Amino acid sequence: MLNNFGAIGILLIFAIALPVILVTVPKLLAPRKYSKEKGTVYECGMETRGETWVQFKTNYFLYALVFVAFDVETVFLYPWAVQFRKLGTFAFIEMFIFIAILLVGFWYAWKEGALEWK
Amino acid sequence: MNAQYALLAPEITLAVVGLVIFSVGLLIPKGSRQGMVPLTVLGILVTMAVAGAQFFSNVNGSFLDGMYLADNYASFFKLLFLAAALLVVLSSTEYVQKLPAHRGEFYGLILFAALGMMVMAGSGDLITLYVGLELMTISFYVLVAYLSEDGKSGEAGLKYLILGAVSSAVLLYGVSFLYGLTGSTVITEIAAKLGSGMSPATILALLLVLAGFSFKISLIPFHMWAPDIYEGAPVPITAYLAVASKAAGFAALVRVMLVGLKAQALDGNVAVALAVLIGLTMIAGNLMAIPQKNFKRMMAYSSISQAGYIAVGLLAGTPDGVKGVLFYSMIYVFANMGAFTVATVVSTAQGSDEIKDFAGLARRSPLAAVVMTVSLLSMAGIPPLAGFVGKFYLFKALLDQGWVPLVFIAFVMSMVSVYYYLLVTRTMYMEEGADLPKIGVSGATKFTLLVTMLVTLFLGIYPSPLAKMATIAAASLFR
Amino acid sequence: MIRMEASFQWAWLIPALPLLSFLIIGFITKKWPKLSSTISIAAILTSFVLAVWVDFGVFASGVGAELVEKPYQHVVNWLTFSGVPWGLSAAPLNIEFGTLIDPLSAMMLFVVTLVASLVQIYSVGYMHGDKGYSRYFAYQSLFAMSMLGLVLSTNLLQLFIFWELVGLCSYLLIGFWFFKPSAREAAKKAFMTTRVGDFGLLLGILFLLNKFGTLNFVQLFHMMTPEVKAMVAVGGVSYLTLTAFLVFIGPIGKSGQFPLHVWLPDAMEGPTPVSALIHAATMVVAGVYLIARIYFLFQGASPAALEFVASLGGFTAIFAASIAIAQNDIKRILAYSTLSQLGYMVMALGVGSLTAGMFHLMTHAFFKALMFLGAGSVIHALHEKQDIWEMGGLWKKMRITGTTFAIGVLAIAGVPPLAGFFSKDEILSAALHNGHPVLFGIGLFTAMLTAFYMTRLFVIAFMGPEKAENHPHESPWVMTLPLVILAFFSIVGGWAGIPEHGFAYFVRPWGSEFEPEAMNWLVAGPSIIVGLAGIILSYIVYYGKASDPVEAAFPRVYKVLKNKYYVDEFYLWIIKHIVDGIGKVLYWFDIYIVDGIVDGLAWIARSLGSLFRRAQTGQLQVYAIIFFVALIVLFLAVTYGEGQLHALNPLALGGGK
Repeated sequence: MLNNFGAIGILLIFAIALPVILVTVPKLLAPRKYSKEKGTVYECGMETRGETWVQFKTNYFLYALVFVAFDVETVFLYPWAVQFRKLGTFAFIEMFIFIAILLVGFWYAWKEGALEWK
Repeated sequence: MNAQYALLAPEITLAVVGLVIFSVGLLIPKGSRQGMVPLTVLGILVTMAVAGAQFFSNVNGSFLDGMYLADNYASFFKLLFLAAALLVVLSSTEYVQKLPAHRGEFYGLILFAALGMMVMAGSGDLITLYVGLELMTISFYVLVAYLSEDGKSGEAGLKYLILGAVSSAVLLYGVSFLYGLTGSTVITEIAAKLGSGMSPATILALLLVLAGFSFKISLIPFHMWAPDIYEGAPVPITAYLAVASKAAGFAALVRVMLVGLKAQALDGNVAVALAVLIGLTMIAGNLMAIPQKNFKRMMAYSSISQAGYIAVGLLAGTPDGVKGVLFYSMIYVFANMGAFTVATVVSTAQGSDEIKDFAGLARRSPLAAVVMTVSLLSMAGIPPLAGFVGKFYLFKALLDQGWVPLVFIAFVMSMVSVYYYLLVTRTMYMEEGADLPKIGVSGATKFTLLVTMLVTLFLGIYPSPLAKMATIAAASLFR
Repeated sequence: MIRMEASFQWAWLIPALPLLSFLIIGFITKKWPKLSSTISIAAILTSFVLAVWVDFGVFASGVGAELVEKPYQHVVNWLTFSGVPWGLSAAPLNIEFGTLIDPLSAMMLFVVTLVASLVQIYSVGYMHGDKGYSRYFAYQSLFAMSMLGLVLSTNLLQLFIFWELVGLCSYLLIGFWFFKPSAREAAKKAFMTTRVGDFGLLLGILFLLNKFGTLNFVQLFHMMTPEVKAMVAVGGVSYLTLTAFLVFIGPIGKSGQFPLHVWLPDAMEGPTPVSALIHAATMVVAGVYLIARIYFLFQGASPAALEFVASLGGFTAIFAASIAIAQNDIKRILAYSTLSQLGYMVMALGVGSLTAGMFHLMTHAFFKALMFLGAGSVIHALHEKQDIWEMGGLWKKMRITGTTFAIGVLAIAGVPPLAGFFSKDEILSAALHNGHPVLFGIGLFTAMLTAFYMTRLFVIAFMGPEKAENHPHESPWVMTLPLVILAFFSIVGGWAGIPEHGFAYFVRPWGSEFEPEAMNWLVAGPSIIVGLAGIILSYIVYYGKASDPVEAAFPRVYKVLKNKYYVDEFYLWIIKHIVDGIGKVLYWFDIYIVDGIVDGLAWIARSLGSLFRRAQTGQLQVYAIIFFVALIVLFLAVTYGEGQLHALNPLALGGGK
């Protein structure tokens, strides 16, 4: 019984100890020399300007969501198009229903102004 | 192949109605959009008729090699979800008029949530189940955050989104384990492949799935989201969340556990773990409801404890137990909708939903006070109300399986619940509330109030018809 | 026989008519008070006539004896539990609604409809001009329906439903004047206290259902075989004994036995006719009736069960009687008297005499209702004064009330040939004959106390010095007529026990042999003597006094009695400090400990994390952490339970063994 928990216990101790060691050992061993360059956010690339907490337009998300929806649609259309002859009329009608549903969604997004960048 | 589409008739009908409502909403100029109550109600009624026809003509079929099922069990739950949606729609007509924006989509989203629930109840495959679950949950994310000007509502929406995603992830993790173990996502095949074997991996899979659903039905300790979200959401949505979303969780959970993982789920230790969760839910849910000052928050804890009672039927695992789950879920819809409709009325008139706002309601709106009392007492399980019969079925089923201590806890906690339910009644009847306005109820709201009360009373006095339906539905699950 | 069944078939109308009246008043005639009261009284009077018709069939024709062996049942199926058959019964469980008629229920029908009719007629005068007049009669009708339904129940579930309904009516009527805070508190107290008892009863019902698969009284009775009696539940206690104890908790609450008696005196906050009907004559005896109904269960249980019942009854009797001595509120005196008499009835059942218990139930209903209505008449005349020391001299001003009240006092004191003498004598002789000399002694002493405090009430209120500020006048005839009728029954009610084929012949346990018993003067003699002694002693002590001489003589004892042995305070303390505390503690537990542990985990994580970056914190994370911690704990627990933790070791040790 105890053996069973023993293994778990060892795992727990080890799992906690490892990160602690990994963080503290460099702290103790590594030389600390501060310079201005090290204090900056990025060590290379563009200098950042202004606040990091900037607000940006939610329209971006709407755009992205609508894009993803219609992008993924193609994934369904593609196999259907390949096997179109085999599947017959029923699948043809089915796909039209599918597209119709998507179109309603598209219409909705359009009408509600999701596609306008104000 | 084409004929099989008839099995999907209720889902297809509801999807069409939902799309039509969205489309019609677009055709009306933005400023003058209303709730479109008549159209929604008509749509729900037609869908109910279709689902009812399937139930009463004993349609039991499967679709796409058992990936989707149309059996009596699913049909019963479909009727339940539709009834809940109908009551929510009817009770919120006036509330919707006060919404700041997007009145047109409110009902469309309610319908799509119902569609998601129906898919959950009918799915015989874990992936289909997940799709239904997400359809329901995503609709709820939007609905919970509907009061865009109210900070609480937005906060609730965000919390629900994140925690919902966490629970979905856990559920999917469990599903992936099951797929890994059996090579299938079809529930019956999983059962066949797993047999009665029990390994740490099965336990892990089972518990992950259980935890995922426990979040939806708010079993303690997976309940943390419920009070915050119930409090923040618009009142009708809180009601919908409490009854329909929870029932959908039960619909799926019962099927997965009792069909797919039967040998494992009710095995000694897992059953004990489940019993502990249920006991904890009943005890803590009821006790934490006592000090609450906000009505919605109290009802959140109340609904947590109610989930504990319903889960008792799952633990029993017999047709009798499932019957109890079905019966109680159905009457819980009416009892809870009655209480929340009154809360909606009060909240619409006074703009707040603290328990003290109900003071003197007996004088200000006698009908609302009576309906509230009947609903709460039914939930407390006082005869001759429906809740008593429901609890009787559930506890009896559990007693048959020999879980005497748990039944004892359930009883004691039912008694405790009387206390906080009566606190509301006392506030309504015994306190003055002189400075609060008189509240008139009319039209659809009045209809909803009367229907919920009469159903609660009728099923308490003569439960046979619903009990018979529940028996049939439960039997179809075990076929 | 066939002719008689004609009346039995219509017995369902007896509760149905008041129900109809309730619905009519509630939905239609609420705005016309006079019409409402007329409908209500017409309904209950018709029920009374029907009850008399049924009684005629049972008692006057000799069918009664057959009915003891084979009660008449008329049932409709209400709901069926299909599936596995339950317990010892082979059939699926059927719950039915119906009417059961045997001498016991027939007697109750008569008492309930009679007292209810008289109380309703009386209420026309008493409630005259009250704002809730219609509501009052609606409740009265609902109560009559529930009580009659309870009496006629064929099975325990039906009985339980009506049991709860009478409880609800009692709640509504105690809190009838809901604008008075004391009435609200009393109503709540009554409801909550009796719920404690109901809980035991419900458990008992479930125990019965689980073992026997039926709740029908007759079927249960026929299942009482020796094997069933020998079934053991836990630790040598037989199943029946355990069940009997559980079921008995119901009557403890409903019939105000110690320690759940506290609600009844407070229930006097309701209108006085309500106290007369519900809290003296009918509802509170429902518990006694229940014990009588399932008496076979107690007979089948070990003798300890009945022993317990008898002792608790005897204790309640003397306990409540002693409190009554020190009370000054006229209704409270009567309330404690009721408690004491209920204890008497329970004791009678406990010592093995169903007949005596039910006999006392009947006579008590007559004289206690009489005295309550008399008290109501007094209170009415004095404009809501209830302290007996503020009364006095009523004898001269209120002749009818005074005379009838005196009859009530003599009846309860056990003075022959009034009703109380016969029933009390029956109880005492049953106690002595069945080998309970201690209980006999307690009964005798209680009888003296009863005579003492009742005479005290009468002497002070009616014969004490007149008060100048009071201007009493006799009540109108609608109020005095019921008094006269009840006084009549308080005199002759006991004579039902005199003939050889009298009360005892009809009302006896199912399947028992009838043993005629002659008047036992060895018992009756002392009983008369202590009764008269109590009366005379009380007269000497209290006549002409303006304040309580006992208080002056024994201040400490008096104070304890006056404060009802501090039971209420004790309960209040428990509720305040323990029950309320648990709720708070758990809430606190949720907030500080559960959240605290999680916060602690979060704190550990944050402390570690702060080495790298500033950790974000918020409720949301906490929720998610709880979710996962719970999941992990659950997993480890179940795996450990399954004994498969070792299978995880390779996992933990990175694949090694």
